[in-house]
Amino acid sequence: MIKVGIPRALLYYQYYPMWKTFFEGLGAEVVVSPPTTQAILSSGSSRVVADTCLPVKVFCGHVLALVGECDYIFIPAIRSVKSKICNCSKFLGLPDMTKAVIPESPPILDIDIDINKGKHELYQAIYKLGRRFTWNPFKVRQASIAAWQAHLKYKQLMSNHGLTPSQAIERISNTTEVEPKTPSGNPTPNQATIAVIGHPYLLYDAHINYRLIHRLEQAHYKVLTPEMLTTEELELAITRLIGGAYWTYEEEMVGAGGHYLESGTDGVIGIMAFGCGPDSLMMDIVHRWAARLRTTPFMSLTLEEHTAEAGVVTRLEAFLDMIHRKKRRRLKLCV
Amino acid sequence: MRVGMPHMGNLYIPFKALFQRLNVDYVMPPLTNQRTLSLGVRYSPEGMCIPFKLTLGNLIEAAELGADTLLMPAGSGICRLGYYAKTQEQILHDLGYNAEIVCLGVSQRKLFGLLEMIKRLSNDAPWSKIISAFRFGLAKLNALDRIERVVQKVRPVERVKGTANKLFAKAIEAIDQADDYNTLKRVQIGYIDQLNQVTKDSEAQPLVVGIIGEFYVLLEPFSNLDIEKELGKLGVEVRRTTFISEWTKFSLFLNPMGVNEKDRIHKAALPYLKRDIGGDGWESVGEKVLHAKEYDGLVHLAPFTCMPEIVAQNIMSSTKENIPVLTILCDEQIAKPGMLTRLEAFVDLLEYRRRVKNKHRQID
Repeated sequence: MIKVGIPRALLYYQYYPMWKTFFEGLGAEVVVSPPTTQAILSSGSSRVVADTCLPVKVFCGHVLALVGECDYIFIPAIRSVKSKICNCSKFLGLPDMTKAVIPESPPILDIDIDINKGKHELYQAIYKLGRRFTWNPFKVRQASIAAWQAHLKYKQLMSNHGLTPSQAIERISNTTEVEPKTPSGNPTPNQATIAVIGHPYLLYDAHINYRLIHRLEQAHYKVLTPEMLTTEELELAITRLIGGAYWTYEEEMVGAGGHYLESGTDGVIGIMAFGCGPDSLMMDIVHRWAARLRTTPFMSLTLEEHTAEAGVVTRLEAFLDMIHRKKRRRLKLCV
Repeated sequence: MRVGMPHMGNLYIPFKALFQRLNVDYVMPPLTNQRTLSLGVRYSPEGMCIPFKLTLGNLIEAAELGADTLLMPAGSGICRLGYYAKTQEQILHDLGYNAEIVCLGVSQRKLFGLLEMIKRLSNDAPWSKIISAFRFGLAKLNALDRIERVVQKVRPVERVKGTANKLFAKAIEAIDQADDYNTLKRVQIGYIDQLNQVTKDSEAQPLVVGIIGEFYVLLEPFSNLDIEKELGKLGVEVRRTTFISEWTKFSLFLNPMGVNEKDRIHKAALPYLKRDIGGDGWESVGEKVLHAKEYDGLVHLAPFTCMPEIVAQNIMSSTKENIPVLTILCDEQIAKPGMLTRLEAFVDLLEYRRRVKNKHRQID
């Protein structure tokens, strides 16, 4: 059986169920790299030039972890998933860049996803990818339809049940229904909520963000993430803030930020990677919006491989203390 | 309505000519200087690239002079450029300037978008007038770039260092003053003649270094600390394919007709980079492959945190076509002594390589 490797980094968090269903539908076995560790990060960053952003370094580390474990590595070049909205250069150059910096990697399966070129081109690209596994075009068609269904189900699971991608993936892969570890349905009325915004590859990679979400949950905060919102809510917020999206993954940042700043959460934490082109601007837009509203506290955390755990924890504690004090003052006023 | 715009190299000269001919009320902010940089750095998001910071500084300085309509290039591409105007407008508003930013759509509507915008700025001047003014602006641009090409050749071989630069500065002034085609032509021919008559070291065989990388830092000498002049002082001939006049020629006129000057470069890059990654990343890789045999070395200029150039830099180091590349990242932290040291070391390396190559040739 052909083994297809999927690095547990970057777009894994958005599309893993879809990719898995697709390749399994074509009769391949899917191998995922282990969760990020310091060794993975270091091996990745040793390959690329210093100013490459953290998520890409992590990605290279995951590809290195897959060397020898699989026959192919799947690295799509996603240019655009919505008309006239483009993606960051690093996603586009990812297959070529990986090939250049990791010459020993297994052959790379790349596919150009560009909605602007029309549906026909897109289907052609998917078909071309599928043909590497089977000669039967109907099988490719079936696999891609199943994959799309899996993707929709995955997204729905996250927005309806308030699950994070890791929880949703866990739920999809286990046939028996597993209840999420944290009771997310009905928060206790006085439980404070913190929204964490940013790209999923930063939010859910517990190694590079120093278990931020876990820490917040331990401090008894209810954590909200961008995936828990519906597309309409996100788009509405984007229109309010800047008129229209420019980047492919703008919803996770500007959309979610704009929504949570006005939806009565107790605080919003934005996470970005140092040197991230799109984030440097999007975070600024959210920042300015927060400063203008003056209702919800906002903190931005910039991550890179030199970020120290103590620094993140200190800032988090200070931020939570501030929220706690603010909440107490408000309660007193009510009394 | 008072129009202002950011600087990029000598781009202000053709725009000035255009505005004067159409009687547009305009202000030119002072040429990019240390204050521009400080202003830009102070009010920009920290992770932004140097083109954003400098253009923001320019816009603030224009707004200080009373400009209320600011031109800013934009375009939907993969680079951050398309987001610049939106953010800069918010920053200017937060600073209390009530200025409107007019986007110069450089990637979608090409020539028409540009002409329509000029029409709007000129209070609906007749098309005939707009087109003649536009042509005159282009003529100035072409004259500037023609002279600059000669300057690039003269700089490394002139006997008295700095002569070409002095002549170039005078030529820029004269072109700026010229207000009809005849004068313009006379100025162009006159200065090219003078440049050709500069006493030169006839035996010198200067090293040839190509300058590649991101558009803005290539064309704005302030952002790259006058790297071309410095290389000239070290006796190196600089070759650069990026010129504003080339850009206008192709991007505005020939590309819509199906001629693409970059096809050759893209084709060269294909084995290493299969797709456009935005900005000038694809071209950087392509130029390295293409010029590996022709040049002695390449200087790759990129703004710090520039996304396409980082991808290009990662790929460039692994191409089969081998040529020394010095990548210089430009940002507000860059200092001239540091850059000069790196350039000198690089030129030493190139000289050494050439000596070794010549020796091998003699033995053969």
